[in-house]
Amino acid sequence: MATSTVPAPVRDPERKERVDREFGWNVVVWNDPVTLMTYVVLVLRHLYGYDHETAARLMLQVHNEGRAVVATQPREQAEVTVARLHAFGLQATLAQP
Amino acid sequence: MAQVLRRRGRIQVKLDSRERDALLRILGELQPTLQTNLGRPPRAYDDPQMQAEYDRWVRPDVERGREADVAVVRDSLEAGEDTLPLTEAQALAWLRAFNHLRLAAGGILGIEEDGWETTLDERARRRPEYGVLMALGYLQEELVAALES
Repeated sequence: MATSTVPAPVRDPERKERVDREFGWNVVVWNDPVTLMTYVVLVLRHLYGYDHETAARLMLQVHNEGRAVVATQPREQAEVTVARLHAFGLQATLAQP
Repeated sequence: MAQVLRRRGRIQVKLDSRERDALLRILGELQPTLQTNLGRPPRAYDDPQMQAEYDRWVRPDVERGREADVAVVRDSLEAGEDTLPLTEAQALAWLRAFNHLRLAAGGILGIEEDGWETTLDERARRRPEYGVLMALGYLQEELVAALES
């Protein structure tokens, strides 16, 4: 009978930090006084595929609190969506949690 | 009055010649000033080095996209038709272009806080940029409603 060849997990704090750095980037949308609320909802639905309720909740958080984390993604993907948010004229940044 | 409809999945913008001319005038006057009136370039990172890389590799695409969106609107308007059929991609280009133009108008008017709709003074309300803000806001609402329907 074959025995397991799966290696025991090795604790590697540096690897964990690297993984967090690459995969844990928050996309933050900031409030601006000119952009329409309905437009922000449409953009969030279009870019992230959110249902109307989720997109509206995030938009209201942006409006009431000044900012909201709208997604957490690997860095490269987060940067692409931030660029797309900029293309829509929204203020958006990437931040590590 | 301008109207946006969705019929059998297709979006139609109804604009008479006066409205089309007004929009073309807005594009002509505001587009060259977009860079200045949008204020500082979009920030993606707090880290200066990462921001410099974003500015070098990504921002030029965002700016080219903005020019292309305005060109989509101009091309549709210059077709000279009262009913302009738009694909969903074209409708999104219109929305993006209008948002940039509204942000530029807001920058010219010095709008920095929520609530300007009720607090803006009479002198600001008489400026053409205020009309741009309201007219393009109306069209954006109509386009969003058509896309969401």
